[in-house]
Amino acid sequence: MVHILGKVLPDSHLARHALTNFYGIGRYTAHRLCARMQIHDRCRVRELTPAQILNLTAFLSSPTSAPSAPKHPLASPSFIAPGPGKAPAAAPKPRIVEKDAAAQAQASTKRGDPLKTLKIETELKKEIRENIMHQRMIGSYVGRRHALSLPVRGQNTQTNAKTARKLNRLGRYN
Amino acid sequence: MLPTLVRLGGRSAWKGPFFVAFPNLREALENNIPIVTQARSCTILPNFVGLRFHVHNGKDYLPIMITQDMVGHKLGEFALTRKRFSFKKSK
Repeated sequence: MVHILGKVLPDSHLARHALTNFYGIGRYTAHRLCARMQIHDRCRVRELTPAQILNLTAFLSSPTSAPSAPKHPLASPSFIAPGPGKAPAAAPKPRIVEKDAAAQAQASTKRGDPLKTLKIETELKKEIRENIMHQRMIGSYVGRRHALSLPVRGQNTQTNAKTARKLNRLGRYN
Repeated sequence: MLPTLVRLGGRSAWKGPFFVAFPNLREALENNIPIVTQARSCTILPNFVGLRFHVHNGKDYLPIMITQDMVGHKLGEFALTRKRFSFKKSK
């Protein structure tokens, strides 16, 4: 059993699945988190080192103020491996590296780093509650539907609408 | 998510927000005359703050007072189109 911020992560679970126990961390974010903490894909919770657990706790307690990921610059296209007399072999390789770097840069701009703006547990719930209260304050349709515990996005209400009746409240998560 | 997309509700940034140019905007602001409109999909811009609108809901024109918090929403969000069902007993 590992306890992080009052959550119990069961020993037998994969680390990246156990992290989804936190409210606000899904599979994608858990995967990114594992990559940042250098936890491999098949790692179980019981195999986590104390340093990794410490790292995770430090990161999850304040994700926004945590230091950003260390940068490991790739070799430049003109880089030639310093080898005694084996320079020609290094010529075709850098091109692939360059492509990878471009692809990585594109991917990072497209989805962004989810860990930079990560909000979990009470912080996220507070944000959701504030968003609902904002809608209610200005008197928009969304806010009114929340106040009535009815579906917000045009779903049927003749029957069912049970999820909305359960969740759509002004004081959600209170 | 990109902040621009959040503000525009998924609309591309280069288009900017959708809005209708009201010709009588300045006059309305000076004389406090409500603007009567059917443009429910018009985004509320910062220069609408303090204006009064009468927004069509399909039947009537409902009065709306624009405040600072409403900027970025649509005019139609504040004029309900649906009537709450109430059972009327027939004689």
